[in-house]
Amino acid sequence: MGGDDAIVLEGAAKRFGTHIALHPTDLVIPRGQAVLLVGANGAGKSTLLRLVAGLCRPSAGRVKINGRDPQRTPEARVEIGLLSHQTLLYDELTTRENLRFFAQLYGLDNPDERLDEVLAAVGLCFPSPVLATHERLDQRVGSFSRGMKQRLAIARAILHCPSILLLDEPFTGLDSSASAALHRLVRRLRQEGRTCILVTHRLDEADGLVDRLLVIERGRWRLDQVLPEDPDQLRRLCAPYLDADL
Amino acid sequence: MSFLGRALAILRKDLKAEWRTKARLSPMVFFILLMLLVFNFSFDLGGAALREIGPGTLWSSYVLASLLSLSRSFADERDNDALDALLLAPGDRSAIYLGKMLGNLVFLLAVEILSLPFFALFFNLSMGFYLLPLLAVFVLGSACMASAGTLFAALSNNMRLRELMMPLLLLPMILPALISCVEATGLVLANECCEKLFPHLQMLGVYAVVFTVLSLMLFEYAIEE
Repeated sequence: MGGDDAIVLEGAAKRFGTHIALHPTDLVIPRGQAVLLVGANGAGKSTLLRLVAGLCRPSAGRVKINGRDPQRTPEARVEIGLLSHQTLLYDELTTRENLRFFAQLYGLDNPDERLDEVLAAVGLCFPSPVLATHERLDQRVGSFSRGMKQRLAIARAILHCPSILLLDEPFTGLDSSASAALHRLVRRLRQEGRTCILVTHRLDEADGLVDRLLVIERGRWRLDQVLPEDPDQLRRLCAPYLDADL
Repeated sequence: MSFLGRALAILRKDLKAEWRTKARLSPMVFFILLMLLVFNFSFDLGGAALREIGPGTLWSSYVLASLLSLSRSFADERDNDALDALLLAPGDRSAIYLGKMLGNLVFLLAVEILSLPFFALFFNLSMGFYLLPLLAVFVLGSACMASAGTLFAALSNNMRLRELMMPLLLLPMILPALISCVEATGLVLANECCEKLFPHLQMLGVYAVVFTVLSLMLFEYAIEE
């Protein structure tokens, strides 16, 4: 384990009752590397992300984020930005109230300034072409469209400038323009040197964003290699491990 | 940000959300009114019976109504997996417990104070300054329910039958505090405060402190999947 490793799993396993979600797993992701994590539904991708994020305790082994255990060292979690299936936002609060609340939890010094920055980064600075007439930043998030919510979820995930981004199906529910905007944003974050794990079933979405491929099946690694440049080769490599209907 | 600062941020967030939705206060108030109405028709609570049965009916209503609110403590967090965002934030996770517990305490107290005039109306209780010690019983009783209830709400949050499990876990645990609440309320209604009331208030205070400290220590394990 080197000092330049952002994420390290040493024999990390997760079991829920009798179900083994993740078999003992070793993984090292150096700082600045972006990884595409692929697997069928129930393969253990989300469990792996939750372990890395410190959202659950490994049943065996260890997880380290920049050399620190996210469970035992709460400050280690400040390095992590998680974009999940769900928005992780409060429907009853407005955009600004949501982001201000999380800015408080992360103890940001100039929250309003940072809010404007992240809203601009996700294309929600006002006036914004992506805001429909009924979607205003001072309206409750619950009244927003899925695409808008996802943009806000991205803003929340990057609000505290995390050095590690965990993106679990980030393109779900986005229209083509929002997908393209997210693609640009992730690429920019990558250029800034952030470490990234991207989970997606749509392999074409990962184009240009990642440099390493990890394939997981039933909680065990099946492939760990440099990402093939040819999209067709990538599809052929992953096809046996993805759901047939995807 | 300090531990207390994070807890207060969560409290403010919960109060703001509740102010907009009234998702917890309105059902609680209506439930208590219905309970009091049912008790009013079921028992003749005039005179001495008020002292005997009144405190029990009042606290039964509060406890059952509190189950409605407590079981929703983590419902808002569950809706969009927002709890994950709270758990991801740096710092001691027991600040989440403290924020939620303070929110529950505020909601329970608000409902108790709002429903007291209706209790007086239904059961011919004359309002007056002699009822003032009841405020101390309400504060300490609510603190007991909130401290234990928030922990068990967190514990049952990941359970499939959470609505069923919550009362099964909570009610036996708050029984000692409930007995003290009923006894203390009976003493206040009979205008017999002074020395007899103090041991009950002491018991409620100790229960609330012990359960809050225990919950702060156990919360991180309770909230895990």
